[in-house]
Amino acid sequence: MMNAPDDIAISVKDLTVGYGDNVILQKVNFQVRRGEVFVILGASGSGKSTLLKAMIGLYPPLSGEVWIEGGNLVAAQGKERLALLRKFGVMYQSGALFGSLTVLENVRLPLDEFSGLPEPLKEVAALARLKLVGLGAAADKMPAELSGGMQKRAAIARAMALDPRILFLDEPSAGLDPITSAGIDLLITSLHHFGFTFVIVSHELPSIYSIADRVVMLGSCTKGIIAEGKPTELRDGAADPWVRRFFNRQPDPSHSVESS
Amino acid sequence: MKIATQNELETDVEVRPNGQACVVLRGRLNEHTVAGCWGLLEKELPGKKVETLHVDVSGLGFCDAAGLTLLLYLNMGRMTPRATVSVLGLKADLERIFRELTLEDKAFHPHPAIKRDSFVEKMGRRVRQMTMEFHEEMVFLGAIIATLPASIFHPKRSRWTETRRIVELAGANAVPIVSLMSLLLGFIIAFESARRLAEFGAQLYVANTIMVVMVRDMGPLMTAILLAGRSGSSFAAEIGTMKVNEELNALKTFGLDPIPFLVVPRILAGVFVTPLLTFYSILMGVIGGVIVMLGLGFTLPLILHQLASSVHLNDLGAGISKSAVFGVIVSAVGCWHGLRTQQGPSAVGLSTTRAVVTSLLLIIVADAFFSAISFLFK
Repeated sequence: MMNAPDDIAISVKDLTVGYGDNVILQKVNFQVRRGEVFVILGASGSGKSTLLKAMIGLYPPLSGEVWIEGGNLVAAQGKERLALLRKFGVMYQSGALFGSLTVLENVRLPLDEFSGLPEPLKEVAALARLKLVGLGAAADKMPAELSGGMQKRAAIARAMALDPRILFLDEPSAGLDPITSAGIDLLITSLHHFGFTFVIVSHELPSIYSIADRVVMLGSCTKGIIAEGKPTELRDGAADPWVRRFFNRQPDPSHSVESS
Repeated sequence: MKIATQNELETDVEVRPNGQACVVLRGRLNEHTVAGCWGLLEKELPGKKVETLHVDVSGLGFCDAAGLTLLLYLNMGRMTPRATVSVLGLKADLERIFRELTLEDKAFHPHPAIKRDSFVEKMGRRVRQMTMEFHEEMVFLGAIIATLPASIFHPKRSRWTETRRIVELAGANAVPIVSLMSLLLGFIIAFESARRLAEFGAQLYVANTIMVVMVRDMGPLMTAILLAGRSGSSFAAEIGTMKVNEELNALKTFGLDPIPFLVVPRILAGVFVTPLLTFYSILMGVIGGVIVMLGLGFTLPLILHQLASSVHLNDLGAGISKSAVFGVIVSAVGCWHGLRTQQGPSAVGLSTTRAVVTSLLLIIVADAFFSAISFLFK
């Protein structure tokens, strides 16, 4: 274990991710401060979700380290790894709720497996999380009965089940209408006030402007970070013209309809 | 007054005769101390006459989500159902979350209790469901019967590339397993019959037994069972996954009917492949039997003569025709259950299981039917 500076929740050091000879991200370095909403963005295929999956330990990196709350997830094994995994919760792009369980049972599952709470309290704890995301009345519904936005809310409630301090969200607004998407943004903002640290993968610009404290942008060609900072600063003053175009939703002049 | 001290938490509980109760918590209420505190409160509060409960948490230095859950539980009156509960002394940030999360007990039962059906209602519902299923099955069968002639008489309209792919998957790729299964089946039948026939000095008739059993029943039946497990399940899983992924809807919006597009190629492949595999299975079974008979000391010409005299061409025709029907059953049932796949992660698995079970049942029923017919019209 390493003592991280108090305000650093996650530290990614020289992270190289890929499959065999196919390197997707090379020597990526950044830090996420405690209590901030940190967004990873980039064009389709730039490796956003791959980076997220490497950060949460699903993809073993080719090299590098991921320090979460002072523990190196890449090197951790056994109980140490389990302890690190409990420090964060993950919401997957599709929600990934277990279809054969009710919404309440989905949220209860991690509590049943890992929490030392007495049985009656587990149900209250699961319901409290559902209430927090505005799904108190949908507790007994099956995931298939929920709308896309509700499924994502339920997935966030499940990610919070074991009271982690860090939440990883993969494309929380993808595929949602603007109103529902704004509702998810509001939820993230309100949970942020409760002290959660968020790492969010997204390329929904309105959402990013609304929630992000800081962003890193991945480039497809560079296989790494091409910009880092506050979204409005990058929009107005990024050195890289591609970054400015991205934030201002301007097409790439080299890719016209005729040329393609 | 009951006072309990854990490593980090001190809990005072007092229940007065006038119905007033007070719980005072000091220290750290976290996931390590909650269980002990809850245990003490469970011992002291339920069953007592409590009209008002004050929970004083002003002495809490730390309270995490687990601790907050205990406070919510107390606030809901779960331990003191008739009491008015108040949680006092929460720090400002915790107070905000606590108010946000305050749960009403009705939230635990958002749906009204489910009314139990009577026996007659259950029977009626089951009969109605069976009737609807039968109606759907007939519609499906009718669609196949209506589509098949068009596919056969207008070959250009048929998807022969798809049919060839399925013939390869269900037929050519099944040859190794059919070989092994049939050869061993021939061994088993030969060994078992040789032991019994030896008692009568009639071991030569092992050849007849193998030939009759393999040609008339075991060849077609075992091949069909193997195909049901291997290909019928694969048809159901493939089409079921397409349905879950909305690929079937995509076909429909193109104006393509899934029956000629997906079902007919599989049925044609089934009808073509099953008789071929059955013939091959019979051959391998007989070879297995011949190997055993050679081991028993019979000469090859004698065995071959005995084999040739034991069955007629009609028997072979009956076995092979029966296998074509089994092929239709396996393919049609696999496709049917694939098309009926519902939503959800277990849906494809359920369809696959149903496809195999229904195919096996229908194959046995059809085999019994064929045996009865052949006995009556011999």
